Amino acid sequence: MANGTWRIARGRSSAQLPTALAGALAVLLLVAGRAHFVPFERARAAITDHTGPVLQAINAPVFAVTRWTSGMRHFFDIYSENLQLREDNARLLQWQSAAQTFQEQVRRYQVLLKAVPDPSYATATAKVIARSSQPFLETIVLNAGQQNGVKPGQAVIDARGLLGRIYIAGKRTAWVILLNDLNSRIPVAVRAARVEGILAGTNAAEPNLEALPQNVKLKAGQEVVTSGDGGLMPPGLPVGLLEQEGGAWKVALFADPSGADEVRVLGFRSPLEPMPKPTERDLPANVAGLPPPQPEPEQTATTATQIPNQTVATASAGTAQANPAVPRATPKPTVVVHHLKRATESPATIETRPRAEEPPPEQANPPDDDQTNQ
Amino acid sequence: MSLSSLFAAIIPALCGLLGVALSAMPVSLTGGAVPPPLLGFMPIYFWCLFRPDLMPVAAVFIIGLSQDLLSGAPPGFWTASFIATYAFVDRQRDSLAGLAGVGTILGFALAALICGMTAYVIAWVYYWHLPPLMPLLIQVAVTMVCYVPALPLLNALQRRIVGPWRSEY
Repeated sequence: MANGTWRIARGRSSAQLPTALAGALAVLLLVAGRAHFVPFERARAAITDHTGPVLQAINAPVFAVTRWTSGMRHFFDIYSENLQLREDNARLLQWQSAAQTFQEQVRRYQVLLKAVPDPSYATATAKVIARSSQPFLETIVLNAGQQNGVKPGQAVIDARGLLGRIYIAGKRTAWVILLNDLNSRIPVAVRAARVEGILAGTNAAEPNLEALPQNVKLKAGQEVVTSGDGGLMPPGLPVGLLEQEGGAWKVALFADPSGADEVRVLGFRSPLEPMPKPTERDLPANVAGLPPPQPEPEQTATTATQIPNQTVATASAGTAQANPAVPRATPKPTVVVHHLKRATESPATIETRPRAEEPPPEQANPPDDDQTNQ
Repeated sequence: MSLSSLFAAIIPALCGLLGVALSAMPVSLTGGAVPPPLLGFMPIYFWCLFRPDLMPVAAVFIIGLSQDLLSGAPPGFWTASFIATYAFVDRQRDSLAGLAGVGTILGFALAALICGMTAYVIAWVYYWHLPPLMPLLIQVAVTMVCYVPALPLLNALQRRIVGPWRSEY
């Protein structure tokens, strides 16, 4: 293994300028990466899309061997495990009955209180086809992508709890950033103490709980769940248990990224809260003491908003002004209510009508039968 | 330039890319407990010492970028680390190329440590958070251990294929 066998073939100084240029380019790439350099992420997604089947094929025997060795390990304590499982099963059946009773009760209370039900979400089940455990990275690759409705930001869970979130979604594959990755920041809540914070990955096995309110009293062993802030993840997903290490709070995660084989991607997005409409007093012209602005001379389309089982369309009087055949009338909005037979029927939410067919406001005020019973 | 000499010229870069692909494989004998070695860095160090004309900085850039793409790291992360180490090895080539025996491995260990520490500093600045040092040291140690069997392979490749095909040197 002796070195110095070959003659050194290039002068040192000749490489300095290209090295400096390449170094500068690498730093530029780093700066661009900080600002989410899209072409790089697309290239990465395209590579995993194309190598996905190969990764899956390579991983299959590894998973099989891992499953077989773990099966062999459990073979010797199968009797005691069986007894334990029987006990757990009996206890869980009791809990199932209690949970069903509570679920029905909650549903009744929601109806009585006219509470807005929690938004439902679609899930996609995917297999883990690759794991990347680098010193500064904790990621896995799934065999589900945009074709399966997977989008960046969605939560990924295994059978035990939250595993991470999607950060790049290719067509057929997706990269998941795990909770203990340095980049991971997830809004969470300590369920018992009703305290919210941020779960920050440090590349260690247990991420930190940060941004806690001051003088908050927490106890080790309390359950940490997602808070749902930001609207990307549903609230209440189990994350882990609190642990105190020195003065800092850490979370022992429920999910096991190294053992996760099949995971679920939650296609959740809570509806955006609408911005309140500005009143005339809020307009800068009125605040400055100027005369109020004139109403809009023309409005081309009828806008509609959808509420469960109904579509409410608001026709503006500006339509009548635009059509010379229609007499001018007071700018009173007309509301046309379309009752849908089923919630899944007629998903279109924006309705446009030709201007000539728009009835005059006087006629449009009482809604027609054929308009209401759609 | 003949076809064989052209092929010999790209072998070092291809070895680097192959190393990157191998280290990005999802197979882990330790269940992810030990980070994969920096296999792509070995050809960079080896040919930067002995035949720097066959490992230009452009090849290092491409190998580093491939490492970033396949490992999930931010763009430029390993690229900058590899280029910084390449610059160091290029400057210290006279002393590093003269090492023999265990010194060869220690020389590589020093270069791998510099590469890892550069990556550590970049990660610190990039994430504005001090990452744990231990996984990085483990990765450097694993890379150093893997260099022991890799060195004869690289030597053989250089002696039997790259050297004879690039006989003008």
